[in-house]
Amino acid sequence: MQKRNPFLTAIGALLILLFTGGPILLAFAGSVIPDRVMFSPDRGLFDEVTLENYRFIFTGELPPAYLQSGANRTMISDAARQAPLSLWNSAQIAFASLVLNLILGAPAAFIYARYAFPGKKLTFMFLILSPLVPAVALITPIYMMIQAAGLVGSKFAIIFIHAARALPFTVLILSIFFRKMPGELFEAATVDGCTRFQTFFRIAVPMALPALAATGLFAFMLSYAEFMFAMVLSGDSSTRPMSVVMAALARNPDVSWSLLNTAIFVAILPTLVLVALIWRFVIADLVRGAVKA
Amino acid sequence: MKVHRLLAATVLVGGLAAAPASAQDITLEFTVWNYSLDTIQDNAKKFEAENPGIKVKITDYTWPDYHDAMVLRFRGGTPTDVAYVGQDWLPAWAAAGFLAPLDDVAPADVLSALKADMAPFALSDETYDGKIYGLPYYADTISFLYNKKILESAGIAVPQTWDDVMAAALKLKEGGMEHPIDYEFNQELPNFWDAFVAQAYGRGGDLFDADKKAIFDNPDNPAYKQLEWLAEAFKKDLVQQDTHESKIIPSMNTGKHAFTVVYNYVLAAMNNAAEQPMAGDFALALMPGAAHQTLGFTKFYAITASAAADPARAAAAWKFVNFMAGKPYTVAQRWAEEKGLGFGQVPLFNDPAVVASWNKWIDMTTLKEQVATARGGTWTEWTSVWSAYFRPLLAKAMVGEATVDETMKAGAAKWNEYREKMMKK
Amino acid sequence: MWTIGRFPALWVLPVILPVAVLTIYPIGYALWTSLHQVMLLFPGEDWVGLDNYKAVVTGEYFGAALKNSLVFTLFSAPLVVLIGTATAMFLYRDFFGVTALRSIILLPWVLPGAISAVLWTWVFHPSWGVINSTLFKLGLIDHSIPWLSDPTLAFVSITVAHVWTQVPFTVVLVMAALSAINPETIEAAVVDGARPFQRFALVIFPQIKAIIVLLLVYNALIAFTSYDLVYAMTGGGPGTATTLLSFQIWKESFSMYDFGAGSAVAFIVVAISAVLIVAITWAIPSDIFGEDEPADAKA
Repeated sequence: MQKRNPFLTAIGALLILLFTGGPILLAFAGSVIPDRVMFSPDRGLFDEVTLENYRFIFTGELPPAYLQSGANRTMISDAARQAPLSLWNSAQIAFASLVLNLILGAPAAFIYARYAFPGKKLTFMFLILSPLVPAVALITPIYMMIQAAGLVGSKFAIIFIHAARALPFTVLILSIFFRKMPGELFEAATVDGCTRFQTFFRIAVPMALPALAATGLFAFMLSYAEFMFAMVLSGDSSTRPMSVVMAALARNPDVSWSLLNTAIFVAILPTLVLVALIWRFVIADLVRGAVKA
Repeated sequence: MKVHRLLAATVLVGGLAAAPASAQDITLEFTVWNYSLDTIQDNAKKFEAENPGIKVKITDYTWPDYHDAMVLRFRGGTPTDVAYVGQDWLPAWAAAGFLAPLDDVAPADVLSALKADMAPFALSDETYDGKIYGLPYYADTISFLYNKKILESAGIAVPQTWDDVMAAALKLKEGGMEHPIDYEFNQELPNFWDAFVAQAYGRGGDLFDADKKAIFDNPDNPAYKQLEWLAEAFKKDLVQQDTHESKIIPSMNTGKHAFTVVYNYVLAAMNNAAEQPMAGDFALALMPGAAHQTLGFTKFYAITASAAADPARAAAAWKFVNFMAGKPYTVAQRWAEEKGLGFGQVPLFNDPAVVASWNKWIDMTTLKEQVATARGGTWTEWTSVWSAYFRPLLAKAMVGEATVDETMKAGAAKWNEYREKMMKK
Repeated sequence: MWTIGRFPALWVLPVILPVAVLTIYPIGYALWTSLHQVMLLFPGEDWVGLDNYKAVVTGEYFGAALKNSLVFTLFSAPLVVLIGTATAMFLYRDFFGVTALRSIILLPWVLPGAISAVLWTWVFHPSWGVINSTLFKLGLIDHSIPWLSDPTLAFVSITVAHVWTQVPFTVVLVMAALSAINPETIEAAVVDGARPFQRFALVIFPQIKAIIVLLLVYNALIAFTSYDLVYAMTGGGPGTATTLLSFQIWKESFSMYDFGAGSAVAFIVVAISAVLIVAITWAIPSDIFGEDEPADAKA
C-alpha cells in the first residue's frame, strides 16, 4: 500500500462522517433531548438528557412530565409505539424482496451476460425499459389488480411489488458483473462436464459475491424505504411497514419532535447493524486484494 | 348518471362480495386518518362491547394521504362502510355516488334532534343537495393565535384588525423579532386555502355570491384585500413559512414568533405543559377584521353507498355512526376533553368536564364567541379541484411572484369556468 | 459468447413474468386513460386523443415543473455519482477506522424519503435549524438564512438532501465494481510508474465505466421521478420553485380528479426519461447493455 498523507485522510474521513452520519447523530441527539429543552432559548442543550422517549416507545411508560398535574396525559401519541413492530414488518418484507431478487435475478443476469439466444434482445430491452414509467402513474391499475386478487392488506402483495420493481435493476447490474468475468474459467468448467447451472452456481456466483451483496442490499433498501405502495396496500397496524408509520408520525401534532426522532432512530439502527454486517462480511477480504483467481 | 349507477353497482358488488356468510356477525370497514388512532380503536372497542355481533375493522391512513387513498379505494371497489369525510370533499364524493345520505338509513326524528344540536356551520358542511350526509366527528374554527407574554412585554394590545396586526408585527420586528408571523405555508395542503378564507371572513363579507359565482376578483372584496395584506407582510419579511402545523408548534415555542393562524387543537399542543417550553403563553384572539368572523368546518362520519345498499350493513353502520356522534355525545366529549378536539355539538359547550379541561389551554369565553360567529365555507362539487388549481397561484401571489390582481382574476375565472361546466351537466 | 438454440425459459421467465404482470396491464391502462377523458366529476370516458397531452403541456404549471425537474436531475445525478465514486475510492483504502466508515456510509440508505426530509428540515429550518443556530452562535450571521423559503436556497436544500439519500448506493456499487478489477492490472500500472490520477483515468475508470454509466442513468431516473423527499421538505414551494413534474402526476389525478391528464403527464415523463437515458449512454460509451462481446469470448 502506498504512503498516503494521513492528515488529508483524516479530513476526508471526517467529512464523510459529518455528511453521512451528521443527520443521524442529530436524530439521536433529538431523541434524548426533550422538546422543552431543545427549543427553549434559555436552557443549555445538554441540561437534561433522558431516555424517556425510548422507554415510552418500548414499554408505554409515560414520560415523567406527563404525570405532573396540569399536564394532559393523553397528548402523547400512542402511534409511536408502533415503531418496533413496523420495523419487524419492514424487515420481513425487505428481506423477502432481497431473497427473491437474488434467486430470480442472478440466474437471469448470468444468462443475459454470457449467452446469446432467440428473444434475448427483445426481453432484455423490455426489462430495461419497464422502470421508465413512474410508479405514481401506475398506482391505480396496480391497486385494482391487487384488489381483484383480494390481496389488499397482505404483506405478499407488497413483497411482490417491491421485488418486481427492483428486478430490472438487479438483472442489469449483475449482468455487467457477470459479463466481465474471464471466459477461461467457464470454458474449463464446460470441458469438465459442468452443466450451465453448475457453471453458474459453482463458479460465477462465488466470484460475484460483492456484486450480489450490493444488489441484494439495493433490493432490500428499495423495499425498506418505499412508501407509496406500502401506504395504499397496508391494512392495519400489525402488518404496516416502517415507512408508513414514520410518515404518519412526522405529520401528527401530538408527536413531539423528540419522540419523532426517537422513532426514527429506533427504525434505522437495527437495520443498519444488519446491513453493515452483510456488507462488511463480503467486502472485507476482497478489498485487501485477495481475489482468488 | 350512468357512471353514478355503474360506480354504485361496482361498489355494491364489492360490498356484497365482502359481506360475511352469517347475518349475525357483521364487520364494518371503517376508514380514518390516524390522528390519535389509539383513541379511535378504544372507542370502536366500546361500541363492539355494547353491540355484540358487530365488529369494526379500522383502516387508517395519514391525513395528507387520506383523500387520495379513499379515492383509490372507491375507484378500486375496496369494501368501505363508514368513513371520515371532510366537508370539502362531500359534494364531489356525493355527486360521484360514493356516499349515501343519512336520511336513507336513519330514523327521521332522531336525525332532526341531532340536527337541532349542531352548530350551523357543522350542519351546512354536512349537507349536500338538501340532504344530510354525516354526523360530526370534529368541528373547529381556524383561529388567530398569539403569544401573550411577547405582546405584554412589548406593550402591544391584542390586535383587532389586520392593520393592528401589521403594526404590531412591524413594532416587534423593530424590537429584534425577525419574523413575528409564523404561517402554515404549503400550497399542497387544503388548509392553505381554508386559512386564507378564514382571514377574509374576519373582515366580513364572502368570496362567492348567492349563485355561487366567484366575486373575489373585485378589489373591494375582503379576500382581495386580505391577499394584498399577506403580500405586503411577506414583502416586509414579517413572515416565516412552515410547511406543516406540526412544525409550527416547535417554532412558536422558540419564542421567536408572535402570531399564527391555525386550528384550535394546535393551540392545545402548543400549550402542552408536558412537552413545550412555553406552554401557557399562547392564547386565542378573535379573528382580526371588522366582523371578527372566521371559517368553521366539520369532519364527519359518513356511510358509503355500498353499505347503505345492504339493509343489514346499513343498520349496523348507522348504529356505529350514532354511537360515535349521536346522543349523549360521549365520544365527542371524550375527544374534546382528552385531545382538545373541537366539537360540532353545541351542548358540549356546557359540559363541565370539557370546560374545565379546555380552560387549561384556551379561553372558553373567547372561543364561544368565535364559534358563534363562525361561518361555513362554500363547498361545491368543484371546490377541492379548483382549490388544488388555485393554491399554487395563491402561494405565488403571497411571495410576490405574481400580482394580487392577476391571481384573483385567474382564480375567479377558473372557478366560474368549473361552475359553468358543472351546471351544464 | 455461447449460443443457445431455444429460449432459456427457466432462467429468464422467473424475472420476465413478475415484471410483465406489474407493467403490461398497468401501463396499458395508464396509456388508455391518457387518451380518454377520465374525470371523477364528469360521467363517461370519451376518447379525446391527444387533448390531455395538449392541455397538460400548455397548462400553468407544466413549464415550471419541467424546468425544475430537469435542473434538479442535471445537478443531482452527476453530484451523486461524483461524490459516491470519490468516496468509494477513498473507502477502498486501508486506514484506521475505515471499516466503521464503510458501515456508516450506509446510513442514509435506510430512510424513507419523508424521514430524510424530517432530518434535513431540522438542518435547514430557518428558526430552529442546525445550520442557522450554529452560525448564529458563532456570530457569523445576524439574521436567519431562508434555506427553505428562498427559491434558490430551497432548491439547494432539496438537492443536498436528495444527494445524501442516494450516495450510499453509488458507494456500494462502485466498491463492488472496484473489487472486480484484477489487482494485477493495477500493480502493473504502479510498476510502470503511473501516478495516482493516471492510474485512475487509464486503468481503473475504464474498468468501472459501465457501472458508472449505469449509476448516472439510475440517478437521473430517480431524480427525475422523485417527489417524496421534496414534497415533505418544501411542499413544492415557495411558489413553484421546487415543484417537480412527478408530483404533477399525482396532483392531476388525485387532487384535480383528472386521471386522464395525470396519465398524460406520466407518459411525457416517460418520453423525457427515455431521452435522458439515451443521451447519457450515448455520451459516455460503455458496455452497459452488453453489445460488445466479452473480451475473451468464444463461440
